[in-house]
Amino acid sequence: MKKKIVASLLSVMMVASLVACGGSSSGDTTETDTAETATEETAEAETEEAETAEADTTEEAEEGAEESSETASDIDTSEHVVITYMTTGGKPTNGATEEMLDELNAILTEKVNAELQIYYIDWTNYLSVYNLTLAQMDGTVDLVGTATDWLDAWPNAKNGAFLELSEDMLKTYCPQTYESVSQEHWDLCKYNGEIYLIPEDNYAQWTNHGFSYRLDWAKEAGLENGVHSWEDMTTYFKYVKEAYPDIIPWDSDGTQYATMVGGWISSHSNYVSIDGLNSGAMWGGTKDDLYTIYSPYVTDTDSLVEFAKLMKEWDEIGVWKTDVLNNTASTNRDDFRIGKVAAEQHHTQTWTDLCSPTASNLIYDESSEYYDEDAETGFFYFGEEMDNLVALSITHGAMAVSAASENPERALMVYDLIRNDEECYKLFNYGIQGKQWDVDDSGLRVTPETYNSETDAITTNFWWGRNDDLEIRSAELNWDAIDSLYADYDKIKIDYPYGQFIPEVDEIQAYIDNITEIHTNYMKQIAFGKYSGTAEEIVAEYQQALKDAGIDTVTAALQEQIDALYK
Amino acid sequence: MESKSVTKKGKVQTSQMTFGQKIWRNRTLLFMCLPAIVFFIAFSYAPLPGIWVAFVKYNYRDGIFGSKFVGMQNFEFLAQSGKLLQLTKNTILYNLAFIILGNLVAVVMAILLNEMQSKIFKKVSQTMMFLPYFISQVLVGLLVFNLLNYDTGFVNTILVKLGMEPWGPYSDKGVWPVLLVIIHLWQTTGYNSVVYFASICGIDEEIVEAARVDGANGWQKIWYIILPSLKPTVVILLLFALGGIVKGNFGLFYNVVGTNPLLYDTTDIIETYVYRATMTDFNFSTASAVGLYQSIIGFLMVMITNFIVKKIEPDYSLF
Repeated sequence: MKKKIVASLLSVMMVASLVACGGSSSGDTTETDTAETATEETAEAETEEAETAEADTTEEAEEGAEESSETASDIDTSEHVVITYMTTGGKPTNGATEEMLDELNAILTEKVNAELQIYYIDWTNYLSVYNLTLAQMDGTVDLVGTATDWLDAWPNAKNGAFLELSEDMLKTYCPQTYESVSQEHWDLCKYNGEIYLIPEDNYAQWTNHGFSYRLDWAKEAGLENGVHSWEDMTTYFKYVKEAYPDIIPWDSDGTQYATMVGGWISSHSNYVSIDGLNSGAMWGGTKDDLYTIYSPYVTDTDSLVEFAKLMKEWDEIGVWKTDVLNNTASTNRDDFRIGKVAAEQHHTQTWTDLCSPTASNLIYDESSEYYDEDAETGFFYFGEEMDNLVALSITHGAMAVSAASENPERALMVYDLIRNDEECYKLFNYGIQGKQWDVDDSGLRVTPETYNSETDAITTNFWWGRNDDLEIRSAELNWDAIDSLYADYDKIKIDYPYGQFIPEVDEIQAYIDNITEIHTNYMKQIAFGKYSGTAEEIVAEYQQALKDAGIDTVTAALQEQIDALYK
Repeated sequence: MESKSVTKKGKVQTSQMTFGQKIWRNRTLLFMCLPAIVFFIAFSYAPLPGIWVAFVKYNYRDGIFGSKFVGMQNFEFLAQSGKLLQLTKNTILYNLAFIILGNLVAVVMAILLNEMQSKIFKKVSQTMMFLPYFISQVLVGLLVFNLLNYDTGFVNTILVKLGMEPWGPYSDKGVWPVLLVIIHLWQTTGYNSVVYFASICGIDEEIVEAARVDGANGWQKIWYIILPSLKPTVVILLLFALGGIVKGNFGLFYNVVGTNPLLYDTTDIIETYVYRATMTDFNFSTASAVGLYQSIIGFLMVMITNFIVKKIEPDYSLF
């Protein structure tokens, strides 16, 4: 009897352990970077010229729609098809998105006899899940939201995951989009002469990083004009730590190292990095000499030493928690909204939210216990000291068509509508008018009083074709502050200069992987002041490790490719 | 059929049966094996040709066998890192500690369980030991972090309350080999001891009875009867474990240590390194190359150990 019990116990365990094998996923919280806030971006998608554009573009859009339906009538759409659109973001559960899709699909069915469904890639390990889904190549998805800088667009194009979009195809099935994107911009979406991506090139946004901080506290600290340099930031953190002992100045997690050192370098040199090589963005040129490739991580030794010293100082001030490198459960941004931390490192787009009296920013909400009547949020952007600012690449968001799609033509037709057709665009981006959004007297977009963000919010995360011609400004945002910062940006910005450069990395990928690993390991210690020994020693050790891993070989290889392209 | 010879008892001699006859005769046993056979064919043998992916530049559209052959290029990455030796060393040393200590503790626990008189206490302690095995590694990682972190950890809160200096294991690489082994033992001892407990239960009661009649005390019973009868189980489990000696426990290391470079010297294993280094570039081929490297070493380990076991005690070898 005993044996039988043990035997059955054992077999149960075997089964259990087999099941457990598949289930033990890693709780990885890689840097969601741009992506994370983008959830908010759609909710309050801003425009630069929406007000002026609104009136006259409506007509244009309608005209365009007629045109396209004429062309579309020549195309065989007799078979009803379902187009699956893949995006990054958590799958909504409240049913509001489906309700919106029903309405949208009625329109899509009428116009192109197709309906749209959304395939979500959850933020947990999003990059690997995203790549794996594409690698399946079984026709699961048709339209793929992608990006050259944060969603591996080029590696996937090279791997054969995306369909080549011929100009004829685009002209026929995506006529409005084809017209609106300039030839120059199409050229930036080509690899080996073929177009793979449809860029989001008519949408103003800034995703350069920096620190959002409490302007009111900075003023108390004696910084009357706010924080405008890393040194000011030090003063600010010191003051906060003394004046508000309950507040963690910045509850960072261990993933911020690359942005911090990258920010430091753009604040102290004219370095312009090449996107998409590695997470450290370790190669590039300078504003004055764009096509001589170097890595500031090898050459700017003094600057790095200074950085290491300052971060050691920050660590000693107690800017972050002692075990910051193992801290994966930080809720810094939410804490910022309720005044429990004093800074948030992210990009301008996030700041536009944090500085505005939106529903979740309780520090501005009189009825909330977290209300602080002086609360104001300023932004110190990396590169401010040197006026070193690069505008966003147009392929920071782009749409691709999966090579395994069974209905690529219809997918393009659907995309053309949700990008350019006013009705479809607003449904897909904002939701149902009167339920998710409405327009107030001044022509700004508001949420209706009946709106409840838990039950009514929609998630489409359409960051691959937003269109300023159709955008309506949100009434919630602090446009005075935002417009003034954007105006400053426009004075100093340069366009992303390497748009046409798609590095061929097969030969050097092994070097790059190892360099990334070294960079990560050392920079985590340096950027959070956790190294032992002096700043000079650790920087020297780091640079030696980079050299041993062959960083000069990579730089030379990139130089060769840049020369071939631009000289 | 033609050469059917019949023995005195009327049974067909196995050596003279055809393959088909053997199958027919053992049909019930074979049928019972079928799920396992199907499982291994489907998940172990059928995917074997896929090893090829480690030697090509994998392209989604061309597939595994259509992609460009690049020879050993995918293996270069491991060699270039200059860390292969250290990583392999870490992986093997940790696994050795896990295997040796794990089995040792499990055997001791199994014997202790066996010697317990109170049935309720036995069951309760067995269950308590068993439970950690089912906790996800992610939770284990969180649990450890909440116990040990510097600012708000359980251990430090107590130390500070007692007027002592707080302890910072997350910036002290020296303590991790010990910590990780303890965590691993805490997780797996319950499971392993059940296996040994099962084989202790399988020992013929008559032998124990006879020993008792001969006047053997508790220690002697353990030393002369239980331990020798556990030997085959230990050897087989060891052999299995050695096959995976270069395969690190990714879940444990990744979730407990996380991506804290201060601790890598003593905690970085092949899996965690490869995960970090290739996450950025999502390269199936490199990952497969690493997997193949580990499998080959694992295969060699099994062959060598099996050979040694065969020399010493032929009955205990696997094949």
